[in-house]
Amino acid sequence: MLRTSLAAVAALSLSTGLASAQSAWTGGDDLPTSPLACDGAAAAAEAKPYDGGEPTDAPDRTGKPISVVDVPKLIGIGYFDATSKGMSEAAGEMGTIEATTDGPVEAKIDDQITVIDNYITKGVDGILFAANDPVAIAPVLKKALGAGINVVGYDANSEPDARQWFVNQAEFNGIGKAMIEAMVAEIGEDGAFAIVTSTFTTPNQARWISEMEAYAAQCHPEMTWLETVEAQEDNILSFNQANTLINKYGDELQGIFGMTSVATPASADAVTQAGQCGNIAVVGLATPNAMKPYVESDCVKSVVLWNPVDLGYAAAYVLRAAADQTLKPGDTSVEASRLGELQVINGSEILLGDPFIFTKDNIGDFDF
Amino acid sequence: MTPRKLFRHETILALFVVVALFVLDRQSDRFFTLDNLFNQGRLMTEVGLIAIAMTFVIVTGGIDLSVGSILGLSAILLGVFWKSLGLPLPAAIGLALVVGTLAGLLNGLIITRFRVPPLIATLGTLALYRGIAEGVSQARSVRGYPDGFYVLGQGEVWGVPTQLWIFGLAAVVAAVVLGYTTWGRATYAVGSNEVAARFSGLGVDGTKIAIYAASGFAAATAAVIFVSRVSTTRSDMGTGIELDAITAVVLGGTSIFGGRGTVVGTLLGLVLIQALKNGLSLAGVKSDGTVVLIGAVLILTILVSNLFHRNANR
Repeated sequence: MLRTSLAAVAALSLSTGLASAQSAWTGGDDLPTSPLACDGAAAAAEAKPYDGGEPTDAPDRTGKPISVVDVPKLIGIGYFDATSKGMSEAAGEMGTIEATTDGPVEAKIDDQITVIDNYITKGVDGILFAANDPVAIAPVLKKALGAGINVVGYDANSEPDARQWFVNQAEFNGIGKAMIEAMVAEIGEDGAFAIVTSTFTTPNQARWISEMEAYAAQCHPEMTWLETVEAQEDNILSFNQANTLINKYGDELQGIFGMTSVATPASADAVTQAGQCGNIAVVGLATPNAMKPYVESDCVKSVVLWNPVDLGYAAAYVLRAAADQTLKPGDTSVEASRLGELQVINGSEILLGDPFIFTKDNIGDFDF
Repeated sequence: MTPRKLFRHETILALFVVVALFVLDRQSDRFFTLDNLFNQGRLMTEVGLIAIAMTFVIVTGGIDLSVGSILGLSAILLGVFWKSLGLPLPAAIGLALVVGTLAGLLNGLIITRFRVPPLIATLGTLALYRGIAEGVSQARSVRGYPDGFYVLGQGEVWGVPTQLWIFGLAAVVAAVVLGYTTWGRATYAVGSNEVAARFSGLGVDGTKIAIYAASGFAAATAAVIFVSRVSTTRSDMGTGIELDAITAVVLGGTSIFGGRGTVVGTLLGLVLIQALKNGLSLAGVKSDGTVVLIGAVLILTILVSNLFHRNANR
């Protein structure tokens, strides 16, 4: 009963969205896409007014030493150890930021809120955060802004008006382009490939697939998309799905995209066990540690993600610039030392840059 | 006051609380401010409501592991009733409370009618209710509630956080019911010796069912307050909150075997844990260290209390 009524609701919402065409590749969403240019030309920054918040009556912190707390989704995992490392590198260079990382031991919204709340009471100058939930974290961040604290997000955004800036690690169209280019480099302009994703309705994956499709249609129209399969984010299911693809398409299949950090290593494992390394390319989003065995055995050539150390590094510089008021609403870029000039996009977000490709040469430098 | 009374667990715990508050006050001048104390009360309310009901459950010798899942389910349904079905918000809140109570009632029925041990019954419904919550939500959250709703979780009434009034009322009612009514004495009787209680003509099953239903109601109330506090609903809300509640109850001197325990003890347990979490953080201890210290204090308190009890009973 519940299922049928839910299905009815889903059908209803689908029929209302018929105006925009459904993605031709299964697993994409039907939102508008904005593929990047085929050559290296940077996309023209869309002019959008600043939509972030402002701290109330913040003291003049220009050039003064400030204490900053970094509250990631959770502590004790390699990914956020890496962002934290980037922050201390930046702090070390600047010499005027004292950054500590503290966060919930589990990725729970209420624990994260409590941690931030305590630091507001304690009195810090700046808060860096990676939100476990964009809406749930908003009230406590607004409270921080109200207390005159500079607030900058990274990795996972909050509602825009609850923070000043957000350092965006990668845009959907950037990931889409990087994925397709990495695949073309291995299987050529006219290769055929399949996709292993989580579910057809998972928001991020659906967005990436749509952007990949739009970019491929624009820049590599000869490529053949075979099929998209769902594998939840389940290790065994991902392996089985990849295995099925290999058996089903035989020689026709030249490449597999893994859309999740589970699907990519599982697909690489399936290709390895089928003895198809070199015949079937695996390209995907994944963390380096999970991919090291396959990259080192040359079965996988490129893993697409972003560099979390750079992400933390950029976040610290953005916070310093916000505190110094050298980064103000309406600015179009911000200086982040070794990363150079970073672009402001979507009103109040700062784009870290192109996605990072982990290869055999650099994957050993990362531990997360 | 007889010496026996003086060495009650609650007295020792109260002493611990005073010492902790004193020490933490020394560590940070921001700790003992009205703002901070009210704020901590705000953060404590959801666990607190659940822990008060959990006191009754554990006094009967039972346990309710499903409260976190009931919280998640009620929260999601509140959002679905309001957003997808278009009900007025008060009606959606009312229905969410009803569903939470029914979920608790079902726990009670499984435990009494089918003689399933509470640990196993609620372990089952822990998975069941969370599964339904995930299924209904489809990993989507409901947001954008009207501003008036946020008064409950983020606003103040007469200068005190709104939910603290609810929490205070619940605590007083629960303390009176457990301590001073025949119904409360029946609860103790069920926990001390269920067979004897049955032969004394007490409505053992009825008492248990009512208590599990109340536990579900408390979890649903906590859900409404939680949604109002964080202004969104998610199906993973309340994960693990059952352990926080049980910790407070047991720290408060309620015997896990039933028959002994007070609401005052639970409140002291709640305050001690919340004060440690907040005070240690203000003193510069990080979250991971805080968790370790709270575990240590829990064990220390129980040990000291047991030591005194053995002496007092000699």
